[in-house]
Amino acid sequence: MNVIDSEMPFQVLGTAVVASPMILLAVLGVSALVGKPLTESLISRMTQVAVAVALASALTLVGLMLVVGRSYVPVEWGDWVTIPEHHFHFHLKFVFDALSIPFVLLSCVLCGIVGAFTQRYLHREEGYGRFFLYYAIFFSGMVTSSLAGTIETLFVGWEMVGLSSALLVAYFLERENPVRNGQRVWSVYRLADAAFLIAAITMHHMTGRGDFGGLLSTGVWPYGTATITSTQALLVGSLLLVAAAGKSALFPFSGWLPRAMEGPTPSSAIFYGALSVHLGAFLLLRVSPIIQASLLLQLMVIALGTVTAISGSLMSRVQSDIKASLAYASLTQVGLIVIEIGLGLHYLALIHIVGHACLRTMQLLRAPTLLRDYDELENAMGSRLPREAWAGARNLPVDVQRWCYRFGFDRGFMDTALDRWIVAPFQDFFSWFDRVEHRVTDVISRESSRESEQAKLHPEELEKAA
Amino acid sequence: MHDASVVIPANESADSRLGTSIQPESLARAIEHAIEYLPTQGPISIFVHHNTLHSFEHLPFDQAVIEGGRRYGCEPYLSESRYRDELHRGRISIDDLRQVLMDDLGDHADDLVASFGTRYTLRLAMLQVTIDAVPDAELRWLIAETDLLRKFREEVSPQRREQMITQTRNWVARHVAGSARSADSTAASSLPESVLGVMSDFGSGDIQHWSERRWEELTLRLLWQACRDGIQQAQVPSPTASTPLTLHQKISRVTGEDTARVVNDVLIRFVGVFLDQGFADWELPDRDLGFATSFAKLYLEKLVVTPAWMEGIKRELRAIVEGPFDPMLSIADSLARMGIEFDEFDEEICEAALALRGWAGMIWQMETATPFLPKPIPDGSFFEYLAIRLLLQRYAISDVGRRHFGTSDLAQIRSRVDSATEARHQPSIDERTHAIFQVAQIGGWTPQQLFDMTSHQWTCLVNEFQSFSSLERRRILHTAYERHYMVQTLDALAVHARRRRELPRSPETKPSFLAVFCIDDREESFRRHLEEVDPRCETASAAGFFAVAMYYRGADQAHYRPLCPAIIQPNHYVQEEPLFSTIEASKRRANRRRQLGQMKHRVHANSRSLIGGMFTAVFGALATIPMVTRILAPRLTAKMRESLGTFMRPPATELHLEREAEEPGSDPESLGYSLDEMAAIVVRILQDIGHVKNLPRIVVFFGHGSSSLNNPHESAYNCGACSGGRGGPNARAFAMMANDPRVRELVAKRGIELPSEVRFVGAFHNTCDDSVEYYDLDLLPRSHRGLFREIEKSVDQTRARDAHERARRFESAPLDMTPREALEHVEERSQDLSQARPEYNHATNALVTVGRRHWTRGLFMDRRVFLTEYDPAVDDEDVNVLTRILSAAIPVCAGISLEYYFSSIDVEGYGCGSKLPHNVASMVGVMTGAASDLRPGLSQQMIEIHEPMRILFVIETTPEKMARIIEKNEGIARLVEGHWVSVALIDPETSSIMRYVDRQFEPYTPSSNDLPQVESSIDWYRGTRTNLGFASIVDRAPPAG
Repeated sequence: MNVIDSEMPFQVLGTAVVASPMILLAVLGVSALVGKPLTESLISRMTQVAVAVALASALTLVGLMLVVGRSYVPVEWGDWVTIPEHHFHFHLKFVFDALSIPFVLLSCVLCGIVGAFTQRYLHREEGYGRFFLYYAIFFSGMVTSSLAGTIETLFVGWEMVGLSSALLVAYFLERENPVRNGQRVWSVYRLADAAFLIAAITMHHMTGRGDFGGLLSTGVWPYGTATITSTQALLVGSLLLVAAAGKSALFPFSGWLPRAMEGPTPSSAIFYGALSVHLGAFLLLRVSPIIQASLLLQLMVIALGTVTAISGSLMSRVQSDIKASLAYASLTQVGLIVIEIGLGLHYLALIHIVGHACLRTMQLLRAPTLLRDYDELENAMGSRLPREAWAGARNLPVDVQRWCYRFGFDRGFMDTALDRWIVAPFQDFFSWFDRVEHRVTDVISRESSRESEQAKLHPEELEKAA
Repeated sequence: MHDASVVIPANESADSRLGTSIQPESLARAIEHAIEYLPTQGPISIFVHHNTLHSFEHLPFDQAVIEGGRRYGCEPYLSESRYRDELHRGRISIDDLRQVLMDDLGDHADDLVASFGTRYTLRLAMLQVTIDAVPDAELRWLIAETDLLRKFREEVSPQRREQMITQTRNWVARHVAGSARSADSTAASSLPESVLGVMSDFGSGDIQHWSERRWEELTLRLLWQACRDGIQQAQVPSPTASTPLTLHQKISRVTGEDTARVVNDVLIRFVGVFLDQGFADWELPDRDLGFATSFAKLYLEKLVVTPAWMEGIKRELRAIVEGPFDPMLSIADSLARMGIEFDEFDEEICEAALALRGWAGMIWQMETATPFLPKPIPDGSFFEYLAIRLLLQRYAISDVGRRHFGTSDLAQIRSRVDSATEARHQPSIDERTHAIFQVAQIGGWTPQQLFDMTSHQWTCLVNEFQSFSSLERRRILHTAYERHYMVQTLDALAVHARRRRELPRSPETKPSFLAVFCIDDREESFRRHLEEVDPRCETASAAGFFAVAMYYRGADQAHYRPLCPAIIQPNHYVQEEPLFSTIEASKRRANRRRQLGQMKHRVHANSRSLIGGMFTAVFGALATIPMVTRILAPRLTAKMRESLGTFMRPPATELHLEREAEEPGSDPESLGYSLDEMAAIVVRILQDIGHVKNLPRIVVFFGHGSSSLNNPHESAYNCGACSGGRGGPNARAFAMMANDPRVRELVAKRGIELPSEVRFVGAFHNTCDDSVEYYDLDLLPRSHRGLFREIEKSVDQTRARDAHERARRFESAPLDMTPREALEHVEERSQDLSQARPEYNHATNALVTVGRRHWTRGLFMDRRVFLTEYDPAVDDEDVNVLTRILSAAIPVCAGISLEYYFSSIDVEGYGCGSKLPHNVASMVGVMTGAASDLRPGLSQQMIEIHEPMRILFVIETTPEKMARIIEKNEGIARLVEGHWVSVALIDPETSSIMRYVDRQFEPYTPSSNDLPQVESSIDWYRGTRTNLGFASIVDRAPPAG
């Protein structure tokens, strides 16, 4: 009896944190699905309530945990899929610990602020409901992945964040660029997802379960140690590293980050400046015991972080538009955070994430006021603003300086290289198959097949008939 | 604004070296031509409203919108369906349509068309239905899957439908029955061939037992067939577009690839860093060497990854770096290699220049018109840009050729593309049938009638039909849209002027005080409310720089900025300085500002760097606190920040206004004006506002401006007569001049006595938060303080009322607010980071009145009018005063109204699209999203409540005088004669109105004598959000005596 009494509030509060955004998503989603759009004020009111409930429950829970002296609260939602013969079970489990609590609080606070901001910013906008629907997906995804206790739960949240991010990049769907860039973001995300999924399956294979606890013999984050061997850790860890690199736009995937600045300003702020871009780093933090288990893996993480941080800072200095510049500035810090994780400085990394996310959200939210800010700064200083290339630049040979400029200007050549060396060969390979297939079908049908290719490119084009 | 003509170096060597037929002069001409089409908006921090189609101003408006639309790929008018909505809403009445159509057709209105009545009736019918233009594929679907051929359109009245079915039924039945009886086929075959075809497809069965629905379907099918046969008979070619395709367009048609996209990707980024005014920490290396050289050097770096399509370009780039590089030769070379013929020059060059017209226009503007920028660009940048663009274009085309045709040789690609380009899609028979079919239903034309028509009649009908194309219909609908407002306005002015005339008045009473504003439409409501609050006061207006054209620098500002209309280049510099006794204190505060500024700048810059970013990020959580308060409680946060700022704000200041040196300049001793110059300014303004005698004891001049957050277009909301600056200093300077006894002596010599008891006060009205600030009150004599306090009280009440009237347009402001609450609401708006509509700026502007306030006073004009003061009594015989007023007012107001017109008509094409994804680029403009062309024009959020119309001038003068002004002033003539603005003249003493039509003035007959009369403005607008009509507000001025 006593056990239930003491456990009950934790379970209720924990469930409330996760359920509140889900309910918001369900309501907004169903209303959109049945074609009954809600009014602006109703949408914004519901969003505020959902965020407030999640935040309040999380805070109360933290308070309770501090009072009772617990540092770990799991909330189980049971197995959703079980395939006994393959020892597979899809287990939904949320944990509140030293890593997930700061992260979930951060998500709630930033989502709340951006929600309040957007409610006025998008006033009278046709896509108001659509934006908040994506927002609800994103918010649920963030809360789910922050609190995830098993790798499959994390994957669910991870996917929701990815989906909503790509949709928000393509928010202005009547123009070409947002859609194109949204698709690009989505493609990189899929690559990351594939790596993640393989890692998850491998983990299941090794430990028989996806529980992060299963990887760690004893202790709660960050004190656990991995139960797998260092070779196993290297395999899983490198897959997860690829996943994190895609999600956090680390080298060599950084190209999508500035391209993501297509949506309305607040969505850029929260998603690419603040939360989404840190999700990869969060994943690495979550599985940090695995990283600690293999020295080689640790070195890989540090190397990736270093390359990313340096190229991010080069790229940021060269950009002439505010949003791209801030995007790369974010990337620089994410690179540093990854280094910290590689070095095992978990708490520093966590503080760094929280601080950086807040700062960057604010900077992005007020990005359109740049001209006024610069004007005020110039007035205060009474002169034009000083421009310092970069303290270290002066010591480098001129040729190297120029090369660095070009590197930053061309965004680290990452998009070009991916296009030339990955995408183009991939396309060539499959169009070769396509040609073969075409020829074979021609032979079989004894005539030219595929009339569809003869169709005109733009039949919908319309000269004014009347 | 600037002179678009350019001197292009002619290169005699071009022919000899290239051995092509390209002539340098024709190339230079083509480029010069293209430059004229570039947008003329300069850097966004100095936003000046101007006619978007400035380069088409030599054409009449209706022609210009079409030509311009073709050139830029934009719409000329609103869509037909928008106008039709307005028709249903009553914003356009049928009467407007009739009148406009009559005027448009003139003598041809009664021409008979085939057998369907007059041209006028046919066109009127066509105006009232939506004629859908549907492509073939969709048409097939419509026929197969919808009721297109089964049911009449909904607009067709039941009677007409009944009538058509019955007639068709009788016609068909007669023939079929006849053939059955006589058993010889002559009767039935008297039905046309195709009718029989339709009948046999339609299925057999006894037609006697067909249901009503079946007859309806048959009628429609026959109607369709009749139209189709008719179109085929008619000897009318289908309408085609005439402009030839450029190479790039052909390639995109044949291959589906847009070669400009990859080129744009590179150029957007490069032009961005090239034009950058100090945003990026790291400046483009070799920027001073010019566009082409810095580009070439950047792309010649070794150890880099270049995109596949740029393979091989290094050879060309090396030639540029090794020099000498001549952009004209390079352009000629590129064109020759692409096989561009002499007669295609204009189109090709234009396309290249306009492909990124925002950026290209900015390069040209920065080269020619903005000497004040911190990072000017070298001369010749635009030509080099064009050269590089064509160079890249060549490589992009080669790459497409390689992938699609297996050759990278440009000549071969060109011939392949030429042979593969099909003729442009022309409307098919079915598409044209569909159009006529829709009108036939509405017009009640029966199949029988149509089948009976001769091919000559069909030719006539189809011609008539095609000559009244969608574009023509939109032109007529638009004219009707404008006419509706014009009629309302002129009627209201005539009635109101009469009412004002009938009021008892004594001309010699002095008003309690005089308030002078800018002519800006946003001040209309402020003036009206002020007159309601204190009925004994008078208001007047002049262009908001109050004839003080200067470069101004505030005590807490780093640079001079022009405060005068963009067409004037000021000679005078004025600086705000701390009072002599507070110089020390001011220095201390300036120091504090500098220190804080440096700290902020360091945080700002370092937060984007590697190590500095780490420290700022670790403490970044602290940033949440101000962020949360700013977003959740903007107004409170702003108040707190303001009180904290007290320690840094400059203490009491004065203007350095009087010059010691002979010539004006920016050195300390040559700042300011001479006494003579000041006197001239004072005289000019007093004449303009028509107050040369009987001035009250206090005259307040209100400059205006606007402050808002997160708004890259902030400058566009400021005073247009101050080049997008804030007009407070102009008002302050004017008041100082007019108060100076030495200036008054000089003014007296010019015939205007200013008694010593008359005092001028300068003030600043913020149109966003409706705050008002007064200058130099310490200089006001003690005897005037009481009166000033009263004025201040009236102004405070007015602020709240003005905010209240403005708030009705904001959907997020509840309609039941009190004026006080409304004031708080607008204060919050201006401080709110998340507010995309801090105010509505000039949106809804539609009217300019030029004349004495007396006949417009008390007329509710819904903030849609630029009220310009002019008193014919003060003017001389040569109408010099009116001429100088109009030569500023017409171009400026037309510029504002036309920029609003075009941005509203096509917000993506002419405007800058939605504000939400805007991204400040290079500190000179905004892009949409991550990378796009620079976007000039106005945003969706600025124009959403605007009604796109040409502005209507109502001027208090005579036709003879006005005709003389038009004749003598080329700038006015172009706008007036080209119908870019409409003009009407009023004589308030008789309420007679003349309209300017076809180069002459015609009397206007009011169509109604009704004008509602209300107690106060609030009674009239309360509870509504949409545009409101006119109303007279009862005058409460105490009776004379």
